[in-house]
Amino acid sequence: MKIKSPRDFWAGLMFVTFGLFFLVVAQMNYQMGTAVRMGPGYFPTVLGGILAVLGAIVLVGSLAVEGPRVAKFHFRPLLFVLASSLAFAYLLKPLGLVLASAALIFISAYGGHEFKWKEVAILTAVLVVFAVVVFVKGLTLPFPICPDFIEICPIR
Amino acid sequence: MKRFLLFVALAAAAGAAAAQAWPSRPLRLVAPYAAGGPIDISARLLAAKLQESLGQPVVVENRPGAGGNIGVDLIAKGPADGYSLVMSAIATLAINPSLYPGLPYDPLRDLRHVTLLVQVPNVLVVSNDLPAKNVQELVALAKARPGKLDFGSGSSGSTGHLAGEMFKMMTGTYLVHIPYKGSAPALADMMAGRIHLMFDNLASALPSIKSDKVRALAVTTLKRSSFLPELPTMDEAGLKGFDMTTWWGVSVAAKTPQPVVERLSAEILKAMAAPDFKERLHNMGSDAPAIRTPEQFTSFVAAELKTYTELVKRSGAKAD
Amino acid sequence: MEGIFANLGIGFVEVFKLQAVTIAGMSMTLPFNILMCLIGVILGTLIGVLPGIGPVATIAMLLPVTFNLSPIAALIMLAGIYYGAQYGGSTSAILVNLPGESSSVVTCLDGYQMARRGRAGPALATAALASFFAGCVSTLIVAMFAPPLAEVALKFGPAEYFSLMVLGLVSAVVLAHGSLIKAIAMVILGLLLGLVGTDVNSGVLRFAFGISEMADGIGFVTVAMGMFGIAEIIGNLEQKEHREVFTDKVGHLWPTKDDFKRIIGPTLRGTALGSALGILPGGGALLASFGAYTLEKKVSKNAHEFGKGAIEGVAAPESANNAGAQTSFIPLLTLGIPSNAVMALMIGAMMIQGIAPGPQVMTERPQLFWGMIASMWVGNLMLVLLNLPMIGLWIKLLTVPYRILYPSILLFMAVGVFSISNQPFDCFLMALFGLLGYVCVKLECEPAPLILGFILGPLMEENLRRAMLLSRGDPFVFISPSKPISLGFLAASALLLIIIALPALRKKREEAFAAEEQA
Repeated sequence: MKIKSPRDFWAGLMFVTFGLFFLVVAQMNYQMGTAVRMGPGYFPTVLGGILAVLGAIVLVGSLAVEGPRVAKFHFRPLLFVLASSLAFAYLLKPLGLVLASAALIFISAYGGHEFKWKEVAILTAVLVVFAVVVFVKGLTLPFPICPDFIEICPIR
Repeated sequence: MKRFLLFVALAAAAGAAAAQAWPSRPLRLVAPYAAGGPIDISARLLAAKLQESLGQPVVVENRPGAGGNIGVDLIAKGPADGYSLVMSAIATLAINPSLYPGLPYDPLRDLRHVTLLVQVPNVLVVSNDLPAKNVQELVALAKARPGKLDFGSGSSGSTGHLAGEMFKMMTGTYLVHIPYKGSAPALADMMAGRIHLMFDNLASALPSIKSDKVRALAVTTLKRSSFLPELPTMDEAGLKGFDMTTWWGVSVAAKTPQPVVERLSAEILKAMAAPDFKERLHNMGSDAPAIRTPEQFTSFVAAELKTYTELVKRSGAKAD
Repeated sequence: MEGIFANLGIGFVEVFKLQAVTIAGMSMTLPFNILMCLIGVILGTLIGVLPGIGPVATIAMLLPVTFNLSPIAALIMLAGIYYGAQYGGSTSAILVNLPGESSSVVTCLDGYQMARRGRAGPALATAALASFFAGCVSTLIVAMFAPPLAEVALKFGPAEYFSLMVLGLVSAVVLAHGSLIKAIAMVILGLLLGLVGTDVNSGVLRFAFGISEMADGIGFVTVAMGMFGIAEIIGNLEQKEHREVFTDKVGHLWPTKDDFKRIIGPTLRGTALGSALGILPGGGALLASFGAYTLEKKVSKNAHEFGKGAIEGVAAPESANNAGAQTSFIPLLTLGIPSNAVMALMIGAMMIQGIAPGPQVMTERPQLFWGMIASMWVGNLMLVLLNLPMIGLWIKLLTVPYRILYPSILLFMAVGVFSISNQPFDCFLMALFGLLGYVCVKLECEPAPLILGFILGPLMEENLRRAMLLSRGDPFVFISPSKPISLGFLAASALLLIIIALPALRKKREEAFAAEEQA
């Protein structure tokens, strides 16, 4: 059995997985109820089932009809961009807005093609000032600006 | 002996100093509901006032979910340093413990109750299409049509829901409960005649009552409401002893030091006494509750918890 | 008829009224309400452009400020924030593929593509002008027909809403231009993801796996930022060649004459649809924007351009969402019922001021009622006057090299998403959805249908279950003759499904025949 359309094959597989996941979790944990009083498990089960069926159709179709390959994954930008958001999120409270933003900017810039230290540093400075002025002072978002261990600056 | 007395004096001073030093950084007031509801709004009003008197920012955080349980649990399990407060309500403290099996917190053991902020009566309102002009006619109608009348509520486990269950139990009738996401859509469906009745809190139902979009039959407190003085109470209308209010207040984690709790209580009471705050709470249908100290509030919570646990058990009410 | 103009007159007088105010210790006489309107729309535009922070959070934060304002000033400012955010959301949708509001999702589809082809100027101008036109017309509709329209809105019960949402979902499938089955699957996946959280009917926590941050479900902003924003940025970074994302050849800032001719029809249709759907509390305005897009795609001569930068694909949803934003005030002003979270906050603001929202506001406080309506028109005027000159600025922004642009976008996104509940978890979810979005693009599954399913899913379920409860389990209630509206929507859904499926089926049959012949 040859996979004629890898793209559709993996798409179909993804749908089947999601569909079964929701269906199984719903069946295991939530009441179905009756048609009159539908329980919390009813809708997810039905939808999960439909999704799995649709996924199966796509999957089977991929074995029969020619289709393109899965487009190439580029892991470097993927990992760096995701890592930069995670870095920001988990560093904001302990290290403050300045350092977290710097982390995000440097990490995401590193994931791109051109990385010039001076340029990124200037960009960081500009964006940090903007962020502090607009977000913390302007919109009064409760972000700490400086890390916990530095006492001098206005920690919110 | 002298050393002992010195030690006690120092400890007391340290305690007082701790209370003095508090608050030294921003406080968070968790509102376990989505932004915009009456509890959230009163939280924001309170936060603004407390900020003025405490000199530290008080940030309102919305943590909705599971009928308010998520937000309350967060504070119950969080640090007991007096910097984390939660808006606790009848649902989260008195009703949910018996309605939701496996509640992650114990309302009396894990929390310290500081101040009761708002207490509003509920009103029994019916659709204009319903041929019932008073409570007795409604009861007769309900008995004649078991299972045919629908009553709405703002959410499963709300006072509106339980008031309906109490009504069913006391009158021996069978009404079908239709939960909504908030009172407003329920009122809308009632105006259109799709549901027949509901117990809604006074503030949210008042505009519709005044404009004759819905008909009010009774209030659920033992005393008549000053907003609707011609409306009988449920007790007067034949359901003896029917007394339910919707209430909410401020609580903190159980192990919060006593001086902090007392200072907090004093500050909140002071805020509530301010004329503009008082007026705004009054606009929500609430007048200054008689319950003032943390101890009184705690006893009140314990009593409500007992009442509603009983009610839930006897009426067989479920979160559906 | 003269009554209307007299009333609008009251309104305009109220809006332009000079008042003595004390600012920073100095007393002066200013048209204070106008100033509040201006502040509101500017603030609204700003938060609309900034991804993540939305009008709900902003209005909630500003509620304490409104305590000290007069009721009309407070409401004018808050309303300004709301529809200002609609304008701002369109800007970020067009420039960086980030929908500021759920109703801007559809604008991303063609607006962003236009920007990539150097036509950001015409796209932004179209969005502003279409929104302004829709705003004027719908404000007039609110002024003239608010009470009867409110009565129509009341006729929509759970059965009607459910059927309307089915129609909306079928339209969502039309949004995709690839495989039909995959589009439907994406919609269903979106529906399922929307079910995460607290179930309205039973209070049970679904699919949260003990993570308390997911107790109220996954936020729209998180999903949109992830699937649209992050996935797009990663996709752009993949281009090995040093090619700018936004072509250097930036064309005219203004739409051409041909463009103008093309946007008239969509704007009119979008306004009509938006005004109609906006009055429905709970989900009406959302459906308006992609209903308008679907409609345009089906009736337009240039249907093949949709998804690649068709200007109709910007005009239609923009006029629809702004018309919907204005008419969504109707349930609030006439019945005291909020159409969405922002309106609920407005009710809160009114109640704090001691005003009971409801039908009596119109009679007891005509200045408030008509002043608000007049301010909606003034606000729209201010917004178009603010946004049009800014187009030049935005275009300049797009000429910044992408390697500088994208970290900035990422920072704003991260800040916005983080600020939802001040927890890192939402950013984690955003990253997860970014990954999902990236994978979906690689597998040729489009994100737009998923997002629409995500928005509509919980609403659909809630209404389905409530309709079944009320009908005591009778499934035929949706097509019962006593509910003509519901029947109508379901019939339209079936029809639309057939119209969509026929060409696809035909193509599949042709493909199957061709494969057979080759074998």
